Amino acid sequence: MSIPKLSRRQFLALSAATAGVAALGSRFVPLPQTITPAGAAEPSLSEGQWIPTCCHMCGGTSGILCNVVNGRVAKIKPNTDNPIGLANVSSDYWQHKSEGAAMCPKGNAGIFTLYDPDRVKKPLKRTNPEKGKGVDPKWKEISWDEALDEIAAKLKALRDNGEAHTLLWFTEDSSFTDIQADFCDLYGTPNYSMHSNLCDVSRKAIFKSVMGHDRPLGDTVNSKYILFFGWNPLSATKWSHLPRTITRGIENGARFIVVDPYCSFTASKAHEWIPIKPSTDGAMALAMANVIIESKLYDQKFVDDWAVGFDQFSAYVKDKTPEWAEKITGVPADTIRRIAREFATTKPAIVDAWSGPGQHSNAVQGGRAIAVLAALTGNVDKPGTIMIPNKGGGAHPPIRVKKTDKPRLDGLSKFPMGHSSGVYTEIISRILDGKGPYQPKMAVVMFQNLVLSIPGTNNVIEALKKLDYVVVDDIYLSETAEMADIVLPGSTYLERYEVIGQWVTWPVVSLRQPVVPPIFGQLPEYDVVIQLGKRLGLKDADGAPFFESLKYEDYISKMIQGGSAKITLEELKALPGAVWMDPKGTQYEKHLAEVKPPEGATVDPKTGSVKDKDGKLVGVKVGDKVHKGFATPTGKLEFFSESLASKKDINGNPIDGLPAYTPRDWYPDDKFPLFLINWKESHHTHSRTFNNPYLMEIQNWNRLAINDVTAGKLGIQDGDEIWVESPYGKAKAIARVTQGIHPEVVGWQHGFGHWGFGKVAKGKGTADGQFNVTKSDPISGMALHKEVCVKVYKA
Amino acid sequence: MSKRYVMVIDLRRCVGCHACTVACKQENNVPVTAFRTWVKQVEKGRYPNVRKVSLPALCNHCEKPICVQNCPVQASYQREDGIVLIDYDRCIGCKYCIASCPYDVRFVNPLRKTVEKCTFCVHRVDRGEKPACVETCMGKARTFGDMNDPNSDVSRLIADLPVSPLKPDSGTGPRVYYVYPDELAMETRGTDANYIKYYHRDLKQEISLSEDDIRERHKALEGISRADRFYDYRIDSNRPIR
Repeated sequence: MSIPKLSRRQFLALSAATAGVAALGSRFVPLPQTITPAGAAEPSLSEGQWIPTCCHMCGGTSGILCNVVNGRVAKIKPNTDNPIGLANVSSDYWQHKSEGAAMCPKGNAGIFTLYDPDRVKKPLKRTNPEKGKGVDPKWKEISWDEALDEIAAKLKALRDNGEAHTLLWFTEDSSFTDIQADFCDLYGTPNYSMHSNLCDVSRKAIFKSVMGHDRPLGDTVNSKYILFFGWNPLSATKWSHLPRTITRGIENGARFIVVDPYCSFTASKAHEWIPIKPSTDGAMALAMANVIIESKLYDQKFVDDWAVGFDQFSAYVKDKTPEWAEKITGVPADTIRRIAREFATTKPAIVDAWSGPGQHSNAVQGGRAIAVLAALTGNVDKPGTIMIPNKGGGAHPPIRVKKTDKPRLDGLSKFPMGHSSGVYTEIISRILDGKGPYQPKMAVVMFQNLVLSIPGTNNVIEALKKLDYVVVDDIYLSETAEMADIVLPGSTYLERYEVIGQWVTWPVVSLRQPVVPPIFGQLPEYDVVIQLGKRLGLKDADGAPFFESLKYEDYISKMIQGGSAKITLEELKALPGAVWMDPKGTQYEKHLAEVKPPEGATVDPKTGSVKDKDGKLVGVKVGDKVHKGFATPTGKLEFFSESLASKKDINGNPIDGLPAYTPRDWYPDDKFPLFLINWKESHHTHSRTFNNPYLMEIQNWNRLAINDVTAGKLGIQDGDEIWVESPYGKAKAIARVTQGIHPEVVGWQHGFGHWGFGKVAKGKGTADGQFNVTKSDPISGMALHKEVCVKVYKA
Repeated sequence: MSKRYVMVIDLRRCVGCHACTVACKQENNVPVTAFRTWVKQVEKGRYPNVRKVSLPALCNHCEKPICVQNCPVQASYQREDGIVLIDYDRCIGCKYCIASCPYDVRFVNPLRKTVEKCTFCVHRVDRGEKPACVETCMGKARTFGDMNDPNSDVSRLIADLPVSPLKPDSGTGPRVYYVYPDELAMETRGTDANYIKYYHRDLKQEISLSEDDIRERHKALEGISRADRFYDYRIDSNRPIR
């Protein structure tokens, strides 16, 4: 279908007629109460319908309600029946539900993305074989059948030739991922990868190794001390509830401290902004631990009962004094000492870290040093601390498949804490250096702009050029689509389904559903996968055709039924706000639950770990009781990780079982004397919202923030045109001289610098990835977006 | 007693996210390059004692609106409940009101070519809803209600907290109250050095969209925005006015 194009007059005539009330000779529709019959089953046309769904302007999936009038989305507002957007602990949600949920600027601009005239409307086939940045692909419109037939034929030829494993698959992370993974398994490629390794897999590794959960969430509303290292949740508002839950925590008496090289809007709301040199956060955390242990301010009972490796850790931090850390971090020793004491003596407290320290080569160990501060002070899974969420989720529907025995191209298994999302930088590097187990031939890219997202822009372009055939599914002709052989028109979140089951601390399952049919009659991404699977006749391990009669609604209905909600898709749709939630709400201190160990279980005298006959951890003995414990190898919080200590990182170096501080690999020198960092603001997501004029007009340029004193030394004034140069790239930018950044650091907002997309995005700002090395951290495979050094001079 | 609608903005809760800015545009279908509400942002202090402070601004729906007094064709008018509106059919775009307004919140709609500004989302208020900016506010900094009702949230906030309007000496009786507004943010103008300049510029040039491009994007909500559907802005629409 196409967008119904009614003139204003036609529309009003129609709405008035449907409402059964004569228009008052006005160009305005009369007040609704006069035209909506009470208790009417069908709302009148002018009132429209309100359909609950979940946002996807970013991955935060906040609950929204969409007003659909005459087949068009007329308004998006917050959905109070969904806690995402209101609160992340159940007591806060139920107590303050009447205040209403919230929605960020991106969510408010969703309609203008849905109806963006620059969207890709028809499948496009490349007719110019030459590929490169700025090279016109000479697109030719083709039909959906032609497009799918051609892609299926390419896939079939590859598979028939015994080269199925040379297919690379890339996708965004929070939508329709399961069915794509199924496709890859059934097709026979191990190379299914998705966005997370460009985002926060180092944080996942950090908290997984220390607490046994990869996505803990802070209960800020109930906290008395909130300490963030390199997190900007009041600007990069992943969940729309964050500004409320954090400012409400402050109102409830919490002291709020932000450690960050940049004075973000989050740091601006803090009682104290502590500027720090990038990547050195771990050193500050170790010095805090030194003070807390020396002054005996740690929670001895909690540590004795619930942590392992304290003695080793305590010995390690003995010489990690605040003076030692001052030399590394630039944070005055007295400040570190004071923050350490405040943090340890104010309960409950939250300590958290996100992408600031997380996108450097020393991210995992540095982050572990931060995470163990929570263990040291007993601030784990209690009200007002960092919480271990109970995910509601949807379960991946079971599938019987014999996976290929070919290795992945990126060598993921060699990363000791690698994430199932893969390692994008390794994929790019292997395509270019040919040192992988094989050369990949084809790629399918779903809803991702690899060129502007993976560090080392030119390398990504060159790598894509080396592939024989590239398929891109996107709503825009992105910089990655420019490198494609075929482009499929993508769908926005308002045109498709998804099941959402995380981001709050108790089990909640919510639904994203199409509020309008795909506006160009295009296939949503999951239906593209189904259509390709059908054409290829992919069969499961029992020989049954998997995609032949598969409907995505049935697929996600199974997901919902397999998760904690245990209801069908239709039942979820019928719930208020299309949200199911566990009435038991947020559970605290879940590790204390008592368990009955099976017959023949043994207790490790050193750690208290209780293991069954097969050596599987079944609980933790504390005193004379056996508890459920944490999901770490020992069941306790780990100051020392035996599991990590037994492994080597991707470079073959042994890993310290302690959160030892080592400097990141690349430091400023005489030639490139400044750290370059990047961040996000509330009005943009990744690189994908930049053609939305209602967001771009808030801020349409990423000027390079440079400290006033540094700018003075370089003779740079606010608004000057400057060169930014690293060993990997050189480009022009505009300077923003500010007091709000560390003098040794320059930085800017990520996502600008498009040369594709559309009229609004094109030519605005500077792309940040072009200065980076194409590398990931050696433990988790996190892309190094922030490990860059540059020089800056007047243009 | 008739109602008297006011807004209270608690700056302790404002995080400067601009959700209000965009929610307003969506609700009222305000074209690109024009704003009925805007969050002014100012950098304050010297490294490392520095922070950015935010100050959302919108029409103050003044007790004695000078814009209404000065309109030569009586297009600007005030409802009995204090909400100041414009009859877009009557407005001739002379901009006299724009020059009169002490708060710089009026502008010429680049497509309609008539003057407009914040309506306190009058179409929502008449349906018992909060203005769109209040509903969407991420920090729940904005509160809206009837100041003449002593039990309303706004009355309680005004009674309990130190509130002040912008430019209390303007003589127009502004009715948007701020809790702990930053003095520097209030005083700073677009040309001052500590104004965060990247938020203040000639948008038409920088957004690089022609009037036709703006019109094309504006079509997404044309005729179906809630403001268009649910309110008759004409002065003779039979609603009590002052």
